[in-house]
This record gives sequence, C-alpha cells and structure tokens, in this order.
Amino acid sequence: MTPALQATGITKRFPGVVANDRVDFDLQPGEIHGLLGENGAGKTTLMNILYGLYQPDEGTLALNGTPVQVTSPHDAIAQGIGMVHQHFMLVPPLTVTENIMLGQESLRPATRFLGPLAALDRRHAAQRIRELSHQYRLDVEPEAYVKDLPVGVQQRVEIVKALYRRAEILILDEPTAVLTPQEADELFVIMRELAKQGKSIVFITHKLREMFAVTDRISVMRGGKMIGTVTPQQATSEMLAEMMVGRKVILQVDKAPAQPGELVLRVEHLQTQDDRHVTTVHDVSFQVRAGEILGIAGVQGNGQRELVEALTGLRHIVGGNVTLLGHDITHARPRRITELGTGHVPEDRHKHGLVLSFPVRDNLVLCTYYQSPFARGVEIDDYAIRERAQKLVTEFDIRTPSITTPAGSLSGGNQQKVIVARELDRPVKLLIANQPTRGLDVGSIEFIHRRIVQARDQGAAVLLVSAELDEIMALADRIAVMYKGHILETLDANQATREQLGLLMAGVKGGTHV
Amino acid sequence: MSSIAGIRARRNELRVSLLRLLDTLSMPVLAIVLGFVGGALIIWMTSGSLETVFAAYAGMLGGAFLKTRGLSETFVAMTPYVFLGLGLAVGFKAGLFNIGAEGQFYIGAISAVWAGIVFTGLPTFIHLPLVILAGAVGGAIWAGIPALLKVRTGAHEVITTMMMNYIAFRLTEYLVSYPLRDAKSSAVQTLRVSPNAELWSLYQVPQRLQDPLNALFVALVLAFIGWTIAEWIFLRPKWVARWTRARRHALTVGIGLIVGLVTFFVLPPLTRAWWLVTDPYDRMHIGIVMALIAAVAVWRLMWKTTVGFEMRVVGANPDAAKYAGINSARTVIITMLISGGLAGIAGTIEVLGVSICRCLPLFFSSGYGFDSIAIALIAKNNPIGIVGAAFLFGAMRNGADLMELQSGVSKYVISLIQALVLLFVAAPAMVRWMLRMKAARDVETEQLTRGWGA
Repeated sequence: MTPALQATGITKRFPGVVANDRVDFDLQPGEIHGLLGENGAGKTTLMNILYGLYQPDEGTLALNGTPVQVTSPHDAIAQGIGMVHQHFMLVPPLTVTENIMLGQESLRPATRFLGPLAALDRRHAAQRIRELSHQYRLDVEPEAYVKDLPVGVQQRVEIVKALYRRAEILILDEPTAVLTPQEADELFVIMRELAKQGKSIVFITHKLREMFAVTDRISVMRGGKMIGTVTPQQATSEMLAEMMVGRKVILQVDKAPAQPGELVLRVEHLQTQDDRHVTTVHDVSFQVRAGEILGIAGVQGNGQRELVEALTGLRHIVGGNVTLLGHDITHARPRRITELGTGHVPEDRHKHGLVLSFPVRDNLVLCTYYQSPFARGVEIDDYAIRERAQKLVTEFDIRTPSITTPAGSLSGGNQQKVIVARELDRPVKLLIANQPTRGLDVGSIEFIHRRIVQARDQGAAVLLVSAELDEIMALADRIAVMYKGHILETLDANQATREQLGLLMAGVKGGTHV
Repeated sequence: MSSIAGIRARRNELRVSLLRLLDTLSMPVLAIVLGFVGGALIIWMTSGSLETVFAAYAGMLGGAFLKTRGLSETFVAMTPYVFLGLGLAVGFKAGLFNIGAEGQFYIGAISAVWAGIVFTGLPTFIHLPLVILAGAVGGAIWAGIPALLKVRTGAHEVITTMMMNYIAFRLTEYLVSYPLRDAKSSAVQTLRVSPNAELWSLYQVPQRLQDPLNALFVALVLAFIGWTIAEWIFLRPKWVARWTRARRHALTVGIGLIVGLVTFFVLPPLTRAWWLVTDPYDRMHIGIVMALIAAVAVWRLMWKTTVGFEMRVVGANPDAAKYAGINSARTVIITMLISGGLAGIAGTIEVLGVSICRCLPLFFSSGYGFDSIAIALIAKNNPIGIVGAAFLFGAMRNGADLMELQSGVSKYVISLIQALVLLFVAAPAMVRWMLRMKAARDVETEQLTRGWGA
C-alpha cells in the first residue's frame, strides 16, 4: 500500500545541533502512528517540517507516493495536512463556527461583490460542521461560544477545524496533556473513528500508557535520530522507555511505606481568589505530616495554582488559616515561610522559578543569596556561591556548559533540576511541589521523583500537586482530589484506583455530579 | 571535586565569560561606527560635498580633543554624563524607567547651591562632602516621590518622573529668582557658594593641598579606597585559606594606613613640584575622578551586593522576585533613591565645578538628563560601558561647536548621530542584517528595560 505520507532521510540542522538526522517516517492510510521521544529528541522539528513551518536541509516528502514540497502551514493545509497544537489556536469570544471559518471564510454569494465587506455565510459553514461532527462523532455544537466550552470540547473543535479544511492527515501534538483520563479515553474513541474512516493520524505523546491504548505503530526518536518503529503488540513499556532514553529506566518509583511523624502543615477552611477576584479555592482543609507525601490530583485549573500560591505567601488568603510547624503563616510573607523551612517548586518555572537571563549559579541561590555563606552583610561572596553552584550541578546532574550559562538556555529538564536542587539544598521541613515534572523527559522525571521520595524519607512533609495522575499514583501516600476549588475526597493511595480518581477529577462523587 | 577538574571548570568559565564579553562589546562598537557612517551620509546628502563631511568630522575631532583644552573640556562634559548614566542604569536594571533624571539633576544642583550658601565658615573637608550630600539627597527625594507613588498607588514612574521634571524646572526658577537670588548681580542667578564648598579644579589641587586639613581629607579618602580594594583582593579564597581573619584585617587596614600616610606626606610636595594641569583656565575638576569611583561603586553595588542582586531580580523577573521573598516595594524605593541621588550629584558637580560663577543661573539649560538615557542604553547599563559612552557623548557635545564653525554643518547633527547610534543599539537584528552577520548564539539576551505596561 502507498503510504499517505512518507518522509525519507530528513535532516534539519540548527546552529550547533542536528535536530533531525536522516529521519525516515511513514504514515499509512487509516493508521494511528504514535511518535515518542524526550524533549529535544526532534519530534517537534519533524512535525514542523511536515507542517511546512521549516524546510528540511536534506530529504524528501511524499504524499500518497507523489513527491511534494510543503512550503508553509498554509500550503500544508492545502495539501491535506492538519495540525492540532498543544496550545489551542482558538479565539474564546467567537463561536465554534466563527473559529472554524477563521482564515477560510465562506461568503454569501449575493454579497460577494462587496469584496472584503461581504457578509459571512455562517449558515452553510455551520451545516458542514454539523455534518462533520456527526460523521466522526465529535459532538461539537456550531453555535456555542468557545469560551464556554470545556477543554476537551475545545480540542474537538480544533479537530473539526482541521477536518473542515479537508485534512486527510492529522498531527496531534501532545493532545492529552490538558485532559482528564476519561476525556483522554473519549479522545481515543474519536481518533479510532477518524482512522476507521480513512484519516491518518500522527499522535505525539510522552505517556507510554497512551501509546498502547490507541496506536497501530509506535516510532521512537532520540537525539534527532529515528531509533525504531514497533507495534504495540511487540513492545513493552520498559522497552519503549529504554529506546527513548538510551538506557534502562526504572519506571516504578521505589518507595517504602510512609512513616508519618509530627504534623507539619495544617490548612483549615482556606479560601482564596484568583487574579480576577473570583474565589477559586473554597473551604479547603487538609494536613500534611512529616515523612508523608500528600498528592493533590485534579485537572489543571481547579484551584491548585491558587492553593499553592496561598500556602507559599504569594497570594492573599481571604478566609481560613494555615499553620506551619505551630506558626501561623496565614498572612506571612514569602520569605518568612521560606525561612521556616519550606521549599517550593513552583508550577511555572519560567514565571516564578527562575530568572532566565541570570546564570545558573545565581538561580541556585535565588532564595538564599542573603544568607551565610553567600553573603556577609550586604556583600555577596561570589566564591561561596560558585562553590555551592558547582557542588549542586554535580550532585543534581544539571547538564550545563558552565555555571555562568544563563538558565534560559538550558533544557526544561535541567531548568527544573536547578529549581529542585535549590529548594532541596536547605534543610526543608515542608516541600511544596506543583507540577514538578511537567514537560520533562523521562530521565529527568525519574530523577526528580527519586529526589522527592528522598526528601520524604529524610523527614520532610511533601505536598505534591500534579495533573498527571500517573505521577500522583506513583508518589503520593495519600491522595486528595481537587475539583472546582474543593477537595472532594482524600483517599489512601494504596486503595485508590485510576477510575475512581478519574471520576473524582471530573467532579463525580458517589455516582452524582457535584 | 579534584583540583584539576576545578581548574578546568574555572578555565571553561573564564573562556565563556570572555566570549560573552566580546559579544557584548561588538554590538555597541558596531552601532557607534554605523552611527557615524549614517551621520556622514546625512551630511553628504544635505551638503552635497564630500569635503564637508571630512571638514565636519575633522572639526568635531579637533573640538573634542585637539584644540587648546579640548580634551579637558571633553572630560568636563563627560562627568555629569557618567553620574546620570549610572543613575539611569541602576533604575533600568531594576526595571524602572526613570526619565526624570533632568529634574533630579536640577534639584540636586539647587540643593547643593543652597547648602553651599547657607553654611559658611566650614572647612572644606566638612563643607564639600556636605554639599555633595545635599545634592544627592535633593535628587534622591525628587526620585523618591515617584517611587513612593509607584509602590503605594501603582502610578507608572515614566509619567510621574516626567511630571516631576516640570515641577523641578519651575521650582528651581523660583528659588533662583527669589530666595537664593544674588541681589547685587545684574543677571538673575543665585549667590555664590562658599569657596570651601567648591569642587576643586585640577589646576587648584597643589594649592588646595597646601592646607594640611585638605591634605588630611584627601589622605583619608584615598586610605579608605586603598583599604576597600585591599579587602576585595584579600577576600579571594586563596588568601582566606592562607590567613586568619585577624591577620587579614591587620593587613588590609595596614595597606589603607600606608596609602593614607603616603598621600598625606608625599602628595602635597609632589604636586607642587610637578602637576599635570598648569593652565589656570583649564576647567577640568576632580569630579571626573569622583565619576570613575562612582562607576566602580555602582558596579560593585549591582554585582557584588545583595541589594544589587535584589534590584536585578526585580528588574529581570518581578514574579520570581516575589517568589524569592524579595520585598519589591523596598527595592523599588531604594533603587529610585540611588538613581536620583546619582543624578543629584551630577547637578551638584555641574554647579560646584563647572559653572563659572560657582552659582546657579536662571538659564541653566543642560539636556544632560535626557542624553543620559541614550548613554545608559548604549552602554547596556554596564557601568564601565557608561564611562565609555559618556566619553563619546562628552566629546561630541564638546566638538560640536568647532564642527559647526569649520564646516558650516549645524551642530545639531550630533543629536542625529546619537539617535542613529541608539537606534542601532536598540535594534541589533538590524545591524546584523546590514552587516550580514550571523545571529549570536547562546548569549544572554539583555533586557534593557521593561516597557510601559510592565
């Protein structure tokens, strides 16, 4: 059978790196082809070449056996290639129809002579959207406003948008990152339906489980090279992980049962608001003891960010109170909370965690620069900082050309290691980690997980917030599920199941929707 | 870590920072060259002759360096630029766009004049520092008000510092015209400051040093500088490991003492025997030395103190600053006080060292404060770069008159050249494109300043 898409010997060089090194990739009609690889493995570069954002330095592309050149995304769409980005390209205040028409507006024939002032033909567009939605069971309402739609539906709108432009090949870039497990399963049903009706799909993810759940074939990239292509039947998780990282990876986090000690953090009836003064955390209470990990599960945007910011002094607390080791820290400044022994791995490492233009060494003392031995009075001791930086770079295996390299030029995994190294470098009694492994490669995830468990074993209380259920289930001793600013339930990690947590994450408790 | 690995790491670090230094230097230098090329093109296009271009640049060079007292006048013009540029750079580093330097300069000048007039009979070593302090405090207060407004109400400093400029101009005019006016003079100007509060011209140095109190003062200042530098040197780990704390302190204090004693006993007779400025009309004054010291001090402040670290974090990433527990409000206020203080000192120096009447005339136009924005930007807020850029601007300001005289090209062409230089500095991508250069890789993208909304 002629492949729907064939890339042969694709090479793409950027200054200093070969992002794609003679990569071969093919996509059969009606196939779901998974593309797996760590950050920086070259997946995105390859897809950007397919989508016309980059031109390959070497190699050829063929669609249905005919050699082609894809010169721009516009060209890619014209040739039947559609892409659903990780971050949706939708305009929230417009309707689904308007969003889908955007860039390819159909006009009412009677008004066409008006040129750019012609009236939009929403009716016909909506009709086609309805047909597509029905044909592929996408369940998208053309008249709805995008801003009112849940994330999962917005994603389907993106898929309809591609289909509306008559895409035969769909590239889905990490589509499950923003979904609950149930929503992801719904997406898989849709993907299979699309494939059954002849569409070919490239599915990019770093979650091994999903590869097995939905793909027909799996290709693994590492360091710009295509390592191999296997079928899910042949492959095992361990094998894929090894192909991805290039060495044996311990997927299971080894940890002894928790030995909870003294009460470290007590949160009572906490209430706080987001930046628009909408209350996003309602009456949240929990406790974390020394030597245990409390995981907070939940789909992103259910108040986790505001909760963590409130606990670390970055956000004003409207109601309730927070006690850390017997000290009331409800309205304490961030520095006091840090000095009482809190380490905080923030959700957004670029916004809060790092000063990207600063060298690694300065970022490693971002919270302690004023303390001994890094400073005497107001004078900074460069030598002490350099020495500590060198020690931490070695100890935490931070891959950086030098300690004076700006943090912004490190890879995401190494940036995160800088933060974790910094926060665990002081004697922490409470570690708050919010999405500590988001967007990281398997190797870095493994490393950071081990460090978190190690901190627990050394007697720290750990509050782990993550939207990745796998991460919560692997690390936490107790799991609290957060939904719309409430903690719906706190479960013992040994007894919690994926299904049960998934339902709670979707707001279903005891069979009824909250 | 083994020592070999340590040495290798150090060497690698050194290599990286050297490359980065070259990279940082190349752009401003190219921008300056291109600015002058652009200026030449404009002169050529407007005059229609290549000779005019050469005559203009020859005149500028001659005016700036070669004519009698040309070079020393360049240093005179450069001095306030250094202080103002440093002040602005401190603000920019912390993300604050203080465009009120001109107003702070005026307030600094008038405060200094006030302190120079009101106190009389004080010896130099008290009066001169007092007057400079008054100027610095005046400038600091003027910048401190917008800082408070920003912290309390969120008012943007671009707006408030600009408004403070106009208040400063009118307030200065009032003070010059009424309370501080010299009634005996026909020109509207303030009273003359006490001679002990004047900034010494270099020509005066030998004569001033004859007063043992003055010599003692200079000796103390130099002793302090010697001690500070010795402290910096002997705090390197190599020396720390070798000596005990007491021994180190004994050594550094000793060095300071020796510097002071040598200065006290040797400098006065030495200057009388030989001195580099023998022209009584030469206006070069000790302000230039103060400017260089200030540049080093600001560099230390920004890079070697916790206060500077906080400023830079607040400027580079305010969210991370909050996360790191830095009190942004306090940092904003401190930054503006320092920024305004430096601008105030610039005004002080202009009055005490340059103004011929050693007073503040009503028509005391400077434009220094606005030029300095360009200086700080061209230097990318680097104190050493500011000294260089200030020298360039000082030379151009000083050479402009002779250029106009010799070539007939309007002296405002220098503003054009300065604007071009600034444009090229602000748009490195354009320079790279013009020169077909490859984009620099892995270089810290220096954020000059955050925009309006930030």
